Amino acid sequence: MESRFWTHQSDTESDDDQSEVDEEEAPIVGDGGTGGAGSKYLTRASLSDSDESDEKQRVVRSAKDKRFEEMAVTTEQMKNQMKINDWVQLQESFDRLNKQLEKVIRVTESDTVPRLYIKGLVMLEDFLAQALANKEAKKKMSSSNAKSLNYMKQKLKKNNKLYEVEIEKFRLNPESEADAEQEDEDDDDLDSGGDFSDEEPVAIAGGYSDSDEEGEEGEEEGEGGWETKKSKKDSMMDKQFKRDPSEISWDMVDKKLKEIIAARGRKGTDRAEQVEQLSYLARVAKTPAQKLEVMVHVVSAQFDVNPSLNTHMPIPVWKKCVQNVLIILDILAQYPNIIMDETSDVEMENETQKGADHDGPIHVWGNVVAFLERIDDELFKSLQCIDPHTKEYVERLRDEPLFMVLAQNVQRYVERLYDMKAAARVALRCVEHVYYKPQEVYEAMRKLAEIQASPDAATAETEAAADGDDDFDEEAKHVKLPADVKGPPSFVVTPEIVPRTPSFPNLSRLLMDQLVGTIYKHGDERTKARAMLCDIYHHAISDEFHTARDLLLMSHLQDSVQHMDISTQILFNRAMAQLGLCAFRASLVTEAHGCLSELYASGRVKELLAQGVAQSRYHEKNPEQEKLERRRQMPFHMHINLELLEAVHLICAMLLEVPNMAANAHDIKRKLISKPFRRLLDINERQTFTGPPENVRDHVMAATHALGKGTWQKAVEVIQGLDVWKLLTKRDFVLEMLKSKIQEEALRTYLFTYSSFYDALSLDQLMTMFELPEAHVHSIVSKMMIAEELHASWDQPTRSIVTHNVEPSRLQALATQFAEKLTVLVESNERAFDARTGGGGLEGMSMGRRNKDGQDYANVASGRRGGDFSGGNRDRQGSYSAYNSGGGRSNYGTGRGGQSRGGRGNAGGSGYYRDQRAGQVGARNNLGYQSTRYQDAYSSVGRTPYQTGPASSTGANRGAQADATGRMVSLTHGGTRPSAHF
Amino acid sequence: MTTTSTPMRSFAQAASAEEIVVPSRVVQIDGLVALKIIKHCKECMPALVTGQLLGLDIGSILEVTNCFPFPSRGGEEEDEVEADGANYQLEMMRCLREVNVDNNTVGWYQSTYMGSFQTVELIETFLNYQENIKRCVCIIYDPLRSGQGVLALKALKLSDSFMELYRTQVFIGEKLREKNMTWKDIFEEIPVKISNSVLVSALMTELESDAPASQCDFDRLVLSTNPFMEKNLEFLIECMDDLSMEQQKFQYYYRNLSRQQVQQQSWLQKRRAENAARRLSGEELLPEEDPSNPIFKTLPEPSRLDSYLITNQIANYCGQVNGFAGQSLSKMYLMDAFHQD
Repeated sequence: MESRFWTHQSDTESDDDQSEVDEEEAPIVGDGGTGGAGSKYLTRASLSDSDESDEKQRVVRSAKDKRFEEMAVTTEQMKNQMKINDWVQLQESFDRLNKQLEKVIRVTESDTVPRLYIKGLVMLEDFLAQALANKEAKKKMSSSNAKSLNYMKQKLKKNNKLYEVEIEKFRLNPESEADAEQEDEDDDDLDSGGDFSDEEPVAIAGGYSDSDEEGEEGEEEGEGGWETKKSKKDSMMDKQFKRDPSEISWDMVDKKLKEIIAARGRKGTDRAEQVEQLSYLARVAKTPAQKLEVMVHVVSAQFDVNPSLNTHMPIPVWKKCVQNVLIILDILAQYPNIIMDETSDVEMENETQKGADHDGPIHVWGNVVAFLERIDDELFKSLQCIDPHTKEYVERLRDEPLFMVLAQNVQRYVERLYDMKAAARVALRCVEHVYYKPQEVYEAMRKLAEIQASPDAATAETEAAADGDDDFDEEAKHVKLPADVKGPPSFVVTPEIVPRTPSFPNLSRLLMDQLVGTIYKHGDERTKARAMLCDIYHHAISDEFHTARDLLLMSHLQDSVQHMDISTQILFNRAMAQLGLCAFRASLVTEAHGCLSELYASGRVKELLAQGVAQSRYHEKNPEQEKLERRRQMPFHMHINLELLEAVHLICAMLLEVPNMAANAHDIKRKLISKPFRRLLDINERQTFTGPPENVRDHVMAATHALGKGTWQKAVEVIQGLDVWKLLTKRDFVLEMLKSKIQEEALRTYLFTYSSFYDALSLDQLMTMFELPEAHVHSIVSKMMIAEELHASWDQPTRSIVTHNVEPSRLQALATQFAEKLTVLVESNERAFDARTGGGGLEGMSMGRRNKDGQDYANVASGRRGGDFSGGNRDRQGSYSAYNSGGGRSNYGTGRGGQSRGGRGNAGGSGYYRDQRAGQVGARNNLGYQSTRYQDAYSSVGRTPYQTGPASSTGANRGAQADATGRMVSLTHGGTRPSAHF
Repeated sequence: MTTTSTPMRSFAQAASAEEIVVPSRVVQIDGLVALKIIKHCKECMPALVTGQLLGLDIGSILEVTNCFPFPSRGGEEEDEVEADGANYQLEMMRCLREVNVDNNTVGWYQSTYMGSFQTVELIETFLNYQENIKRCVCIIYDPLRSGQGVLALKALKLSDSFMELYRTQVFIGEKLREKNMTWKDIFEEIPVKISNSVLVSALMTELESDAPASQCDFDRLVLSTNPFMEKNLEFLIECMDDLSMEQQKFQYYYRNLSRQQVQQQSWLQKRRAENAARRLSGEELLPEEDPSNPIFKTLPEPSRLDSYLITNQIANYCGQVNGFAGQSLSKMYLMDAFHQD
């Protein structure tokens, strides 16, 4: 038959046909560019041996076309070789053909095998059978030829097995079809093969663009095109399709549907074609239920279009998919008696036969929520993949409202069914699209949605896309004109019942509350946790630190998060980062540091926030891991600015660490607040030459040095010179806050460093030095006295600070250190002992005992320390009381003792910095209360009410703040673990 | 310096006594040897030095009659140094033999810094010596402490039970309990006796000045306490850190152990359930022990040797502090009394 086929090629008839095809395709070529045109050339090339007139036109070819052409040439050669019965050459050609096939597949990126190839295979197979049958000729063959023949026999057998289906199809077709049509097929096939590789919306549009532009007439033509396309599938079906839609019965549709579904997932099934076949079926479906059933399959097939996990679904397909799901929802809304669930038996026959007027429940298999989730995943993936600096990305972001419409509709639907679990899932998807948007961005989205929804949406859209490429324009129209336009009018007409525009409340908070409320009520653990984190995040970006913090602490998420999946852990990290930024904006330095320090402890912030793949120096990741990690990445528009985050973290660390370093000048390594900060500082100090600051770190380091020296003006200048501040909305407020914080810390640092060189310091002097108001200085100094950071007392009449300088001797310091070590050892010993003896049912008891014992030991240890050298790093004051006043304690000393009763070992800042023990919080709270008492105790010389005022109020503040610290810290301790799980 | 002279035993006597293996009860050091050790250690002060002890092993008395220092090690390559050291030692012994001096190795001496000598290295060296010489001894000299007017000379040996245990290299809790060994039982201190020949004693008496007190006595009265205490405390702190580290190792071990036990239990339960099911269906039972399963691999228990040594060290420091503080207090009282007068 090949020979017949190939002899026909020069026939005038086929030429005519060819031109007809050309005419038909003209519009496609017009807007399709190389895609359509190339394939046209190709057909010619494959048909004519040497077509000189075409030679000129063949100048511009895509790689794809080239490959196809090569293949065609090889097929041609094979044909010639068959004629002369040269098996050796044939074998070579065959191998070449296979290689070319690989190339073609790589170029087109589709799994479908080109028809050309199949044709070659069939040709070979037939010829082989012929050769084998002819025993006489076989004997006559030369040895090398015979060898090749045998080789081919085996090879072809193996090879053809892979393409059985196609070959079968091919064999069925050419016999019944005219040659010209076959050529046409080739053409189509190539076309559809190219569609998805190029991801040109036009390629798809090409299939039915005629109808759009030419109206009625075009529609018919389009129909014709449709038919021919299908015809190759098999002649039986072809006849069916050719029939007037009204002739098509339910059974036919059902049968065809089953057939298509059966082909699904099979190798060599053209996924795109499946989608089109199915959508055609959807139009001719007889009953609403059947239409629904088909639509469900259409959507599934659309999901199948993109087989890879790493690449996203083509955007046009995505959009159509959304429309299809909306249609499903329309149907469901129109016919409430249709029930769609996953439990429905697929095998249950004829369920869909029941017409629209049927009044019992009709069961259809499907799950809208799963569809929605898949659509969301695809949207997310596409945002991950698209380069964020292109227009495409922005355009993609505009699709978000479209998704929101869908989500809202789905939610309405599931709520109607009282499937609250599903509703919670849908709500979570919505929440995850809203939570990271500050009010302004939210507002913008809302406006966009409104514009899209307004009657002249199309024009607006067109305008918006006008400067973009035309393809998009085209595409936009397609979205507006749902599937019904193409092909025959839908048999079951579904009006657009569900709204096509999203409804957003004015405030993002309102929307969040509403969604999150649903989730809290009905969601499962993970959904709730995620919603909670989103909620926290959203609160944090709207500057409601305390609400966010309370939510976090009440939910105890920080304890459980390390058992959750990685994406939730990432969300947790993001929420923590936002919380830190929020605390910073609210000028809560300690809290901010508490939130952020965990993120920075490992130096893998990027990884923890999923905002980039961190390169690990020590071990190479295998590609599998890398892929996984890539899949976790956050899309660009959801990123938290790392530079800002780093600046905030480092500045917080600086504000805490600089006075701390000054306070512990003796052994600097002892009390670290921020390890990464110290490390940076070390590196910075090791540099032989320090240039002017360039990046964030340099700036902060420069500021640290200035602050350490007491030149706070310079520190402020350097810090305020950072670029990142322009990212903040409350820029001026934050800068002002920073200035005053730096002034305060400068004062503290100064007092720590130099107080031992003074006998007395004047309040006024300090005020002018640090440009702080009197009340402020007074409160800072008083606080330091209470915390026993500064060993001094007020002398009210002279407005000065009298220092009591007692440095512990080295021996004393060592002894203190030793005592501390001992305590630690004893405690861990206790723990080890308990681990041995306790356990099992006695756990509770032993726990109780241990706690008590530990406490006793601790008390003994701290008591002894208190007595002898007065423990912790607060020993200065202790030794003062113990040594200077001998046995009798000074007023001051007693006060101290009282305080240490509040909780062991927290006598000084240790509790403030790093709480290790529960119950600390209470002790912290006491501070506020005690501060006032001490003030009175100190100032035996009577004090003006004015001065007590600020002190006590700050004391109270401190109490509250410290309370927060205690909890924040414990929370971040919990937060360590997620990072470890990566 | 206490100078005691004991009558020398005859070689014949010694030979006859050798038959019964008596643990050496006393180390008798020649005055000259002691001086040589002191000189060597003091001269190389910041560096820690070692040397060879030569002498005779007679009955319960180990006589040290001679010694020579090892060349101090430079920063050269380890192997080379070791080879050099061995060569030097052999050469030295040969020379000594040629001039007919005692050349029977009985142990070695080494200087230490504030009594920080209880290390694994010491134990290993000791065992090395032990292989060749049944009853060897290690003399430790602490030049710093000697600065306070005491002769800080110590003779040590490893206890027999410890040596036995050490050879097996298992220092797990059970074994130690079996042997009833505590940290105190690692080292044994042997009293040191310094003996001089009669002639030397006579000469010394001749040389002795008429002054009622020697330089040594004045050294003892120095009132400065801080440097010594500080050093001790620093060492103690270090020891504490080490001990905590050891403890952490144990905690880690126990945590893993309990985790493993839980795993084993659950595995066993599963296996039993499976076996029960198999029994019902009449199939062959699976073994309840599966040695190939990683959860049945016994976890190695961390060695307790380190913590024992650290404890020893701590005890040593504490003893030093205690003794020193006691002396200092008496000195204070003395001074107080002087002031009142």
